[in-house]
Amino acid sequence: MRIPRNCVLLFLATVSTFGAGGLAYSAQSGSQIHQAELSTIGFFVVFAALTLLISFWAARRATSSSEYLTAGSSVSSGQNGLAIAGDYMSAGAFLGLSGVIYTSGLDGMFLAASYLASWPIVLFLVAEPLRRLGKYSFADVLTHKLRERPIRVLAGASTLVIVSFYLVAQMVGAGELISLLFGIGYGAAVIMVGLLMIVFSTLGGMRAATWVQIIKAILMIGGSAMIATLVLIRFGFNMSDLFKTAASNHPNGSRIMDIRGFAQDAVATLSLGVGVLFGTAGLPHILMRFFTVSDERAARVSVFYATCLIGLFFAMLFVIGYGSIALLRGDTTYADASGALFGGNNLAPIHLARAVGGSILAGFISAVAFATILAVVSGLLIAGASSAANDLVVGLSGRQLDERMRLRISRIAAMVLGVLGILLGLACEGQNVAYLLALATAIAASANFPLLLLAIYWDGLTTRGAVVGGTFGLVSSVALTAMGPTVWSKVLGLGPAIFPYDSPALFTVPFTLFVCWLVSIARAEPEVDWRLAQPAVAQYVESSNA
Amino acid sequence: MQGASLHKATESVPLRVTVNRSGALRFRLVLAMIVSYLAMMGFLIRSARHATQTAVVALDFSPAMVALASCMAFSVVLTGLFVFVWHGN
Repeated sequence: MRIPRNCVLLFLATVSTFGAGGLAYSAQSGSQIHQAELSTIGFFVVFAALTLLISFWAARRATSSSEYLTAGSSVSSGQNGLAIAGDYMSAGAFLGLSGVIYTSGLDGMFLAASYLASWPIVLFLVAEPLRRLGKYSFADVLTHKLRERPIRVLAGASTLVIVSFYLVAQMVGAGELISLLFGIGYGAAVIMVGLLMIVFSTLGGMRAATWVQIIKAILMIGGSAMIATLVLIRFGFNMSDLFKTAASNHPNGSRIMDIRGFAQDAVATLSLGVGVLFGTAGLPHILMRFFTVSDERAARVSVFYATCLIGLFFAMLFVIGYGSIALLRGDTTYADASGALFGGNNLAPIHLARAVGGSILAGFISAVAFATILAVVSGLLIAGASSAANDLVVGLSGRQLDERMRLRISRIAAMVLGVLGILLGLACEGQNVAYLLALATAIAASANFPLLLLAIYWDGLTTRGAVVGGTFGLVSSVALTAMGPTVWSKVLGLGPAIFPYDSPALFTVPFTLFVCWLVSIARAEPEVDWRLAQPAVAQYVESSNA
Repeated sequence: MQGASLHKATESVPLRVTVNRSGALRFRLVLAMIVSYLAMMGFLIRSARHATQTAVVALDFSPAMVALASCMAFSVVLTGLFVFVWHGN
């Protein structure tokens, strides 16, 4: 009897994942083991088993690269809307934004408003052209107009850098969460989640990631609604009482009702906002979502559904954030004398769930947050794998890949990125995940967004302009981010930062647009009859004119 | 690694999305979104600079919170108008 290879892989992965978790768990001291409650472990096991089952189901269908990378473009607009919302309701947003509100008040909601404001920009500028002109990555849109090889190499490099930064945020959130969930060390937690996500994304592909996102988005909204409602019940549905208690508990008093970041450094906050506002339109795993639906109408409608769901989620996060200040600060069960939460401030919603709903709600929310991490990370790995196979390898080799080779390279790339994610997650322990997400988005805003915008809307963009401008955007945003306070001082410990702002987007986005424009007009390339050469582009413009 | 060679196009290919009616509308909507976002930021900067530490007696939604909520609501409304009114989806 022949046993399918996927079954063997799934079995090995399950054993290694749960084995790693079990070993790490049993290595802890007795006092730490008591931290992990039965309900929490039960929810975790159910979710992990469910995701592995979905992965196995999807793996049986993922026999072609289009099925593996874009779910065969058969996802409906409602499903895609939920999946996009799921991508945004990531651990970074759920844990990170709540953590920022817990730490400094309304600053966290400023980031949330910036994320939401970025969606109309995605809808108006890139969603429809991407669906019409692209197949596997945003580089497909650029290569309709520009020379293929250099553009694919650039797009591949920028996608991998952005995915790596985004992975760090998710892995840090995963490490802290699983560490608390099981009472195991941060390192063991990161390795355990990393192994599971490698299996999940390598086998299941986009269909598995989409379905886990859908289920998780529903559970996340339900769980958040439950916590927010229980918090409001505690205060008799009186927001004024909630704010009053929060302000009396927080060392900043009533200043938590304002954006403190603006008062301290308006340029830094503005730069962070600009990065988030334009970065969503450059995030590879978000752009990939538009290839999973059948047409432009479905792409449009899915963005609307996603925007509504994300707005609802952020509104609940607002209550959760202020609720955590009101109920957790000063309570020695959850926080120390300085107000720092046990396990890190990113865990504010988990502690709050325990405070208002007991260990069962905390276990449920932890497991949902865990599924969130798994789904978002899988989407990231697939976006990175798609770009590696379709952009980087094609660009470097100068040859199109056949179906089998594309699928194989995609899966290998997903595995390599998974290992990289584990290593980066281990290196960045203790960083605020919302901030790390904002930095990744700033790089996407500087490197990808200007190219997409100019390629779709400006006739004069040349291959040389795109390559020089895109390279400038990528290198400058990564270099300035690395020289900023978070990476230079906190992660690398190299002393005072060289560049004073964490997010460089306020400077790098306009400069990248300027460089693209300058190089393009400096030496124009000859035009040919593009309608004959590029039928897909002609079709798109004709339908837009109709 | 097999398959056809990549195309050797060296041309600049005009898409000219902006010259049509839909393209112009898109840019106006993007500008509306960016202006509303910058207005929110301007208001937040102003309110942050002029914030005073008040006694914690009764607190309601602060002007900064209202500005943030307005910007978020505007994002949802603008998206809905584009999808349902303009395209009739």
